[in-house]
Amino acid sequence: MLKRWILDFAYFLDTSKSYQKRKRFFYNILENSKNKYKKYVDILMMMLIFISVGVLIREVKHHVDDQLMFFSNYIISFVFFIEYMLRFWVSSSISKTIVARAEHDTFLHREVNLLKAFKQVGKVKLTYMFSPQALIDLFAILPFFHELRLLRIFILFRVFKLFRYAKSFQTLASVLATKKFEFLTLGIFATVVIFISSVLIYVMEGNNPNSPISTLFDAIYWSIVTISTVGYGDMVPVTRDGRFVALLVIMAGISVLAFTTSLFVSAFTEKLDEIKEIKTIEDITKLKKFYLICGYENVSREVARKLLNNNNNVIVIDENAHRIEKAKEDGLTALNYNPGRLESYDKLNIDIKRQIKAVLCLRKNDIENVYTALTIRSINKDVPLLSLLMNDSNRKKLDFAGINTIVYPQELIGLITKELVGKPVAFEVIHELRSENANVKIDELGITQRIVDNFPTVGELGNKDFRVVLLGVYKQSYDRFYFNPLDDTLLEVGDYLLVVGYKVFILEFEKYLHTKVKNG
Amino acid sequence: MVKTTALIFGYNKYADEIVTNLKDKYEQIRVFSLSADDIQNSETKIELFDMSDEWIEVMTDVDMSSSMAFCVLEDTAENIFLTISLRANFKELTIIAIASNKESANKLKMAGASKVIPLVETTSDIIANMLEKPISNKVLHDILYEKSALKISQIRINKESTFKNEQLTSIDWTRYNGIIVLSVMHEDTKSEFIYSSKAKNHVLREGDMIVVVGYEADIQEFEKKIGSRRYVNWNHWSW
Repeated sequence: MLKRWILDFAYFLDTSKSYQKRKRFFYNILENSKNKYKKYVDILMMMLIFISVGVLIREVKHHVDDQLMFFSNYIISFVFFIEYMLRFWVSSSISKTIVARAEHDTFLHREVNLLKAFKQVGKVKLTYMFSPQALIDLFAILPFFHELRLLRIFILFRVFKLFRYAKSFQTLASVLATKKFEFLTLGIFATVVIFISSVLIYVMEGNNPNSPISTLFDAIYWSIVTISTVGYGDMVPVTRDGRFVALLVIMAGISVLAFTTSLFVSAFTEKLDEIKEIKTIEDITKLKKFYLICGYENVSREVARKLLNNNNNVIVIDENAHRIEKAKEDGLTALNYNPGRLESYDKLNIDIKRQIKAVLCLRKNDIENVYTALTIRSINKDVPLLSLLMNDSNRKKLDFAGINTIVYPQELIGLITKELVGKPVAFEVIHELRSENANVKIDELGITQRIVDNFPTVGELGNKDFRVVLLGVYKQSYDRFYFNPLDDTLLEVGDYLLVVGYKVFILEFEKYLHTKVKNG
Repeated sequence: MVKTTALIFGYNKYADEIVTNLKDKYEQIRVFSLSADDIQNSETKIELFDMSDEWIEVMTDVDMSSSMAFCVLEDTAENIFLTISLRANFKELTIIAIASNKESANKLKMAGASKVIPLVETTSDIIANMLEKPISNKVLHDILYEKSALKISQIRINKESTFKNEQLTSIDWTRYNGIIVLSVMHEDTKSEFIYSSKAKNHVLREGDMIVVVGYEADIQEFEKKIGSRRYVNWNHWSW
């Protein structure tokens, strides 16, 4: 009966949407670094940690306000207790384990063995409870029993909790973790040296009434102070034999120190690129909108420069380390990832739909561009894709790969030469307007509701007062450009004004359009 | 002078595209290649040339004054050498050359090319405009590539022009429906935007040019009204 009840309850929890939703919510705010609320939880926890450590320090020599004491000892401990329980809860799913066991046994026509399921659950939960982070969380709650003076020192465990919330601490820990074996060897070596030197110095000095080293604890203290090359000088060997031991310990100490330093340095050197990459990805994740350039060659370089000049964010990925170095030298955010691999985008940790303005496949190689385009399309069907085409016979393949805009440089050259010989004036003027270095620019200004409210018709815009030429209006609803529109042409939200003028005057005009108060 | 012959030096994808686009514009298009293989493999009629050729002798059957040269060799050094050879022999020849980058564009200019098309800059300009200003890019593209009836023209102020000796700002341009005046170009100088300080006080003289945008019919009407004609001066080319 009880078994049936447990199984039913496990199935209920496993299929309950509201239960799973709540559990997922707590998991996200506690463990999922992509969650937007997690950082607020982390900041709150860090503040609580600093408050309790601050109270501990203040309490040494001063009286601390009772309410603050209560807050530190009970409220903060309670918050940490709740956090500990929530983490314990979301660390694994009991119901899932029971359901999986039930399914497994039923499939094999056996009686459901709940004991095995509970053993499995117990094992997983205990593994979590004895993990270093969970232990720190547990110790951080202990100051709740602050009447036991010794337990108050556990407040310091709250400082260790910072590892959970600050990513740089985690990075530090992960860097050092790569040298686990070396640190273990060093630890064993240092322990052996300390043990031998402590015993030796105790044997040599322990019976000498003039020696400050009279107990084994003094000997261990002296050994550690000497081996660490700190050498306070409060305890020194007085016998010749003791001094000889000191010489050996000092030499051993130098090697321990050198070994430790080199371990830290090599760990960081080896991981430096990885740390930088993690930082770059974090920065990219925070970007609202950016262009993603796949492949960094001549055209990409120029396009990236122009986009940056227009205050855009540009990210470059390329599988060639040399080209990525070049992109970095050019001041771009660049990652040595293969644009044709799905895992590259997983690593980038970005929301393609929300963050990417357009993906630009700008390799001088149609095969690479198609491969990249298909990879992108397999992740997202809608993100705008632009690609270079190097050989016109491949145009259909690029179309088929879902590329929205194809730029074929050879065709452009053909069209340009045609213009040059046929309509040189038009070419010159348009080239001048398009050129980034020209004083006079062509620009497009979007029409908002505010502009429509204040300037319902073209005639009311007053562009001439700002020395701006209104070339025409692009009506989005008709997908049509109206050149030199009549004064009584109505403006609608979503329309664009195409204006020509000096950049500074266009900006002034745009500012005026957006800030004019109705009838003001 | 009207150009009737196009001389294309180099046979590659660029040459193909240029031939496709120019075949209606010129009476004669002649393609020259450095490689004998191109002559055998291509359907287009190709002539062989050599960098050491004495150009004046080779081009005896071509009226260079009515010709335009396109230097599209893929090797930058060869393209520069070809340009300088042509310029050394034909002072008045209009030479259009393609350059792979800015550096070679400068060298081609120094070698005497009338117009240089830097491939990378041009392609990246187009891409950046497509992304950042899609509407203006489309409109300008349409004006350039004849999908639109809109035109940009340069009109010279003649002796009999009604605008002669008038101040630019004193002219009521709204009288001329359908056209927009963008800039004024003084003789042998660069163009000045209509609203620039210089253009503001400028008095139109014979030889000045105004750049206008409008539909073909409106531009013709405008020409009739002001008594001036469209004009193309190759010397105004600058990069």
